[in-house]
Amino acid sequence: MPADVALPRVAAAKSGAGALGDLIFRNLTFLFALLVLLILGGVIVALVDGSLPALRTFGLSFLYTDVWNPVTEKFGALAPIYGTLVTSAIAMVIGIPVAFGVAMFITEICPLWLKRPLATMIELLAAIPSIIYGIWGLFVFAPFVQQYIEPAIIDTVGQIPGIGALFAGPPLGIGVLTAGFILAIMVLPFISSIMRDVFETVPPMLKESAYGLGATRTEVVLQVVLPYTRIGVVGGIMLGLGRALGETMAVTFVIGNAHRISTSILQPGTTISASLANEFTEAVGDLYLSSLVALGLILFVITFIVLAFAKLMLLQLQKRAGG
Amino acid sequence: MAIYTTRRLINSLVIALAVAATGFGLLWLVLVLWTLLWNGIAAITPALFTQMTPPPGSAGGLLNAIFGSVVMTLAATLIGTPTGILAGTFLAEYSRGSRFGEVVRFINDILLSAPSIIVGLFVYELMVVRMGHFSAWAGAVALAIIVVPVVVRTTEDMLTLVPNALREAASALGSPKWKVIVMVSYRAAVQGMVTGVMLAIARIAGETAPLLFTALNNQFWSTNLNAPMANLPVVIFQFAMSPYADWQVLAWGGALLITITVLFLNIGARALASWSTFKQ
Amino acid sequence: MSLATARRAMPLAPPTPPETHADSAPRLKVLIRDVDFYYGTFKALKNITMPLHDKRVTAFIGPSGCGKSTLLRVLNRIYELYPGQRAAGAVIVDGEDILAPGVDLNLLRARIGMVFQKPTPFPMSIYDNIAFGIRLYERLPHHELDDRVESALRRAALWDEVKDKLRQSGLGLSGGQQQRLCIARAVAVQPEILLLDEPASALDPISTQRIEELIAELKADYCIAIVTHNMQQAARSSDYTAFMYLGELIEFDETERIFTHPKEKHTEDYITGRFG
Repeated sequence: MPADVALPRVAAAKSGAGALGDLIFRNLTFLFALLVLLILGGVIVALVDGSLPALRTFGLSFLYTDVWNPVTEKFGALAPIYGTLVTSAIAMVIGIPVAFGVAMFITEICPLWLKRPLATMIELLAAIPSIIYGIWGLFVFAPFVQQYIEPAIIDTVGQIPGIGALFAGPPLGIGVLTAGFILAIMVLPFISSIMRDVFETVPPMLKESAYGLGATRTEVVLQVVLPYTRIGVVGGIMLGLGRALGETMAVTFVIGNAHRISTSILQPGTTISASLANEFTEAVGDLYLSSLVALGLILFVITFIVLAFAKLMLLQLQKRAGG
Repeated sequence: MAIYTTRRLINSLVIALAVAATGFGLLWLVLVLWTLLWNGIAAITPALFTQMTPPPGSAGGLLNAIFGSVVMTLAATLIGTPTGILAGTFLAEYSRGSRFGEVVRFINDILLSAPSIIVGLFVYELMVVRMGHFSAWAGAVALAIIVVPVVVRTTEDMLTLVPNALREAASALGSPKWKVIVMVSYRAAVQGMVTGVMLAIARIAGETAPLLFTALNNQFWSTNLNAPMANLPVVIFQFAMSPYADWQVLAWGGALLITITVLFLNIGARALASWSTFKQ
Repeated sequence: MSLATARRAMPLAPPTPPETHADSAPRLKVLIRDVDFYYGTFKALKNITMPLHDKRVTAFIGPSGCGKSTLLRVLNRIYELYPGQRAAGAVIVDGEDILAPGVDLNLLRARIGMVFQKPTPFPMSIYDNIAFGIRLYERLPHHELDDRVESALRRAALWDEVKDKLRQSGLGLSGGQQQRLCIARAVAVQPEILLLDEPASALDPISTQRIEELIAELKADYCIAIVTHNMQQAARSSDYTAFMYLGELIEFDETERIFTHPKEKHTEDYITGRFG
């Protein structure tokens, strides 16, 4: 047995340093956590501050006036708001069922060896930057839509009296529908990924009891898995909606940037983010600039509400799962 | 028996639809990547990396834009990563169950999904207006604000995964709490945290909107961070929307470069994550 | 199982009675006095009073949930990491009450080492694992640090197995080796007291035996408290045994007496396996 090297203990001095280190570190991390809150606060303050001139000039009518005239300095947000909501709605209508189908396939149907690579590929859809979708949309997708899809729509659904008006007009390729469709492709990986995560939380025994009664795969998914996970599913959908509302570049390229509201979704329009992207750097005049910032404020409020709602739903799910 | 046949029919139909949906998703991935490759490969020449963005009608490259993107991404990462790590550390190590921690987490997750153009607007008001001019610094700050929530999230998640027994073992030796965190918890979580940073970089590499009103653009070579600086996304925006064919080719080239970088980082991050779980 | 059978199950060689140790009679190192412990409002320990002797091994035994690990964790105040857990009473180490407010916890824990149930090697090299604790308190020149690391590893009977791979990660060792690494890490800071919380329960029988041999060696220099759910281990390895049940100390005595002539019926029932 070797002799221990007996050394005097360097006691108190070192320990004092430890306590100081703890104090500094704790406060440092606290400060940066506070910074996160300050960033959000700063965003709100900056947006409100920048929108004040416009809001003071136009008041609440800003929200429902459909006018956008930099020359006469009359601005109303109705067209961008409308465009934002409609493109997002189209994105949801197309994206939600597809996302659900993908989630169902990956969790319940596809063979085990395929799960990981497939999930990764779908998630790569989300990784592709918005501007790539934009440039692809403008040069590849929109011309294709103009040549084949839109004429087909106009000739079929567009002929039905009543709702046909939704699909009327010359085929331009760019427009609200195209933008909404590309948005759908962009948000479906988000929604699908969250759906997949919540589907995986269903206890296998629950599903097995249903299968054990002779239920088909579809029945198990629709009648056991979906009800069990509905809060998380709704949360995921809202998260996707939040993304769709704020998407900028992809929409800017293909929406046509026309400050007007048309009945037909095949026509060009604009969204809040597209207006900002297109006009901000060239806006002259304080009122013009302020109106754009006001648009930004409106977008922020809408997305904040949607995202907060989504987060609350997902938190509730976590609590229920005991997490 | 008729009911059973109907059920089976519905089942087959729904499964077919699910398969179709998956195919649908994959189809667009393939289409986008394919056309990107097809159109962008023409622009991948040595000139792309050696010449500046040209005026319309002349040949050129994207060097100043590539440089600007790299510089701003790097700056944003350097600003945003420590911020995110420290904030995430607070959430994981000091605020378990506290109200303040819950609020920060909530707000962080909202910032995570907030429209990036709003961030650009914020930094415009904060820095560009105040400084009186556009600048690469403003661009970097805008990107950093996008990096922070991502890093906060992954840091908190990874640190929470570190088993308490490890922390107790370090405390039981008489280690002050900050050393337990820095020398043990961080080391245990390092792989996950690096993955988070890689994903954050992948995210900002392609972001355009925050740069539109902050760094703007610059036709020429510039290393001045206090002035507008060229960057790939805004250049692509400008060139693609233009009617000039040679500009459009360059736009595709830039798009291809960004996409390769982003996919590389994404797949790399995933590989790192699964390699580390495999090791344990 | 009858008491006679239990006696027969004892190891053939009787444990060395304390008096025949080279040292003098057992010296009191720790006095646990009227200790209560609360998890929130739940009282997990009730009025525990018992001694721990220096250079002896004291085993805490009892069925699951009896509070033996809780009591062990009071001794180095590791519970202070968690809000809502608190202790009342006094734990007097060499005349000083360590439960008193104002006691420096880090210094306390450098005097009282702990080894946990599952091996917890830090994610660093074997060398750095051992050096971690030393570096917290001492600025040693390189070769002295090397010596300390080597001596700690020798004490833990691990030196020969790892001397050529000190720079490799501690995570690469086997379970038994990792636990000995944790023991080396704990003794490296030269504590006076060692707390072992079921140190062998996650290990295979051969590793368990080596740990027990190690404890027998370490006993010469430290006051050791060991929690174990393995009665045979307690009977083999310890000098004193405390039997606990539902947060109370039922009986404390020299190990030989507890296992051959327990005073309480409850103790006898537990030892003979009537419950557990």
